[in-house]
Amino acid sequence: MTVESPVGAPAAPTAGSSSGLLQRFGRALPALPGLAVLVFLFLVPMAIMFVFSFWKTNNDFVAVPDWNLGNYARFFVEGTYLRTFIKTLIMAALVTVTTLAIGLPFAYFLVRYTGKLTQRVILLAVIVPFWTSYLVRVYAWQAILGEHGALNQILQAVGLIKVPLDIFNYDDPGVFVVLTYIYFPFALLALYAALEKFDFTQLNAAQDLGARPDQAFRHILLPQIRAGIITACIFVFIPILGEFLTPTLVGGAQSSLIANLVLNFLRNDQFAEGAALAIIIAAFVTVIMIVFRKSFRVEDVVTSG
Amino acid sequence: MADLNSRLARREFLKLAGAVGATAGMSAFLAACSTTGATAAPPTAAPSLAAGATPGASAAPTPGPKGTFNWLTWGDHWYQAEMDQIAATYGIKANITSFSDDIDAYTKVQQVGGQVDLVSEDALWVPYFYQHQLIDAFDINSLKVASQLYSVAREFSIWTSPAGYLGYPNGWAPIQITYDPAHVTAGADSWQLLLDPKYKKRVVVEDQPVEVMAYMGKAAGVKDPYNMTDAEVAQAKALLVQLKPNILRLAPQATDTVAALKNGEAWIATINLGADTAVMDQGGPQLTTFTPKEGSIGWMDAEMLVHGGANNNLLMPFLEVHEQAEYVAANFMINRRPLFSEAAYKLLINQGQQELADHLLFNKPETVNSMTLKGPGTSTQAAIAAFNDVFGS
Repeated sequence: MTVESPVGAPAAPTAGSSSGLLQRFGRALPALPGLAVLVFLFLVPMAIMFVFSFWKTNNDFVAVPDWNLGNYARFFVEGTYLRTFIKTLIMAALVTVTTLAIGLPFAYFLVRYTGKLTQRVILLAVIVPFWTSYLVRVYAWQAILGEHGALNQILQAVGLIKVPLDIFNYDDPGVFVVLTYIYFPFALLALYAALEKFDFTQLNAAQDLGARPDQAFRHILLPQIRAGIITACIFVFIPILGEFLTPTLVGGAQSSLIANLVLNFLRNDQFAEGAALAIIIAAFVTVIMIVFRKSFRVEDVVTSG
Repeated sequence: MADLNSRLARREFLKLAGAVGATAGMSAFLAACSTTGATAAPPTAAPSLAAGATPGASAAPTPGPKGTFNWLTWGDHWYQAEMDQIAATYGIKANITSFSDDIDAYTKVQQVGGQVDLVSEDALWVPYFYQHQLIDAFDINSLKVASQLYSVAREFSIWTSPAGYLGYPNGWAPIQITYDPAHVTAGADSWQLLLDPKYKKRVVVEDQPVEVMAYMGKAAGVKDPYNMTDAEVAQAKALLVQLKPNILRLAPQATDTVAALKNGEAWIATINLGADTAVMDQGGPQLTTFTPKEGSIGWMDAEMLVHGGANNNLLMPFLEVHEQAEYVAANFMINRRPLFSEAAYKLLINQGQQELADHLLFNKPETVNSMTLKGPGTSTQAAIAAFNDVFGS
């Protein structure tokens, strides 16, 4: 039984009544599959990992409840993990800044100076690489960046170099280039979505009122596409913290990122040790999200993305 | 070596495979025609073949159990034409799942148990599976095809238990070093070659932390590189530090190593026995290969019957056919590493492949006794930690 509220909406059923419970259950029903995914495929595994991270792996490759903080201490005591993590952060930051620096002018040009049809064609071209597997795309870069790859052959053919460059050949610059290539579409799409909603006549108005173009850009455009920029940052920066495939395929002995070190434990069944390192990375990502949370709302990401 | 390469021509292999396929296809056809007249036979019975014959040619398929079993294995333990023929002729099919490392298969079998029927593993991993009651021992001599094995392969002490043999021997290989003599000073015979500063960014090793640490251990003179003491780990790590500047890349797969050697980006690599022929077959440089004088690690693998496998009645009939010399010889021609079938070796001689077979030590199965065999160890975690310390920033 329901009672009409003063504004005409049905009032909530009395708490504890069986019909009320049924109604609530009915309302929650559509959310259950999503909730189940969240609980069983995210929260429960994270909880298991968290517990494992305080255990030890014995000589039979079994994680046993020998509670300790040693797995966490390893990250801070053995310098390699902290240094590699800092390197990973730097790599992620550089790629994020680069994709933004390339993506923003490109998205601006698309939205402001091209027609809808052209925009669709170009956006399709941006999305097309996703039709090919990530693995294949990264492998293809080996043929471009290698000692005898396309890049060196072109540079030699035009006379810019005499001997092949090796800076991109299984080294950090190669990893940077490929990560930029991989994550550029994510940044571009987020920026495009934000710019598409922007009313460009505001820039003209600002300049009519005496603002220089750069002032109009900084004070009018940037604040209004801030959510799009933050979304692009999240879509690029955070996944790179877990990147291991690109460093494996186009990086060399010097190019490991933190996920490569974690993986070395996990693929040899040292789950407790790997879990602790993974939890530290997850905790760092959470902190980043909390920091971002102060400057934007989750809804902004949804509406801009 | 040029002569050797000419013998390895793809066309020749296709001819060989085609001949096997055509004969087996014909036998399958004949078998289908004569099904009603087949006599009953025990489930483990299989065609008894003389070396040189084609599976199914000398005896009609018996009405043994038919069905599908689950096989957890590496990609080089089977080839599609063979599986198709066995399915068509004997009605035995396999759902094949690949895995990467021994420990990967161990984890999976531990989790799913008898959902897997047959699993392949290396050397000391085999008794490890048995100790953990994941596999069943069996009487290897109850398989007629086992008589085709080198006798040494039926008597490995590590694979012998009071209840029987722990696995059906398949293939083996030591880790070797190969180099391009056009760029590398000839005469190398030691792990030290990898560490020579002349070869900066010219060495490829596989991205296998525990194995890399194991052969650095061998280089340092460690006797048991899978069970190193802290001091021995430190010795191996010190050599790994020297090795790092020379590494062009840590190759995720053997094919990546072959590619790097073929296109000349790498001059030196650690490889499984036989990978050098793959490089040369693909038009790469002529390579020189050696087993380091300090000794090497190596693998030898076996097919194991998973304890409680739901379809284990299919396994013995399958092994009787799958391990026939003709299939083993054809497998050798595809994957280029020695196997334990003496009958297959003789067949290869008859097919004019002795030079290749001898080059890849097919006639010297006793070599496995000089290798440090792959297996689960007590220093795994310490090895990974040392590896990470070197290859992290």
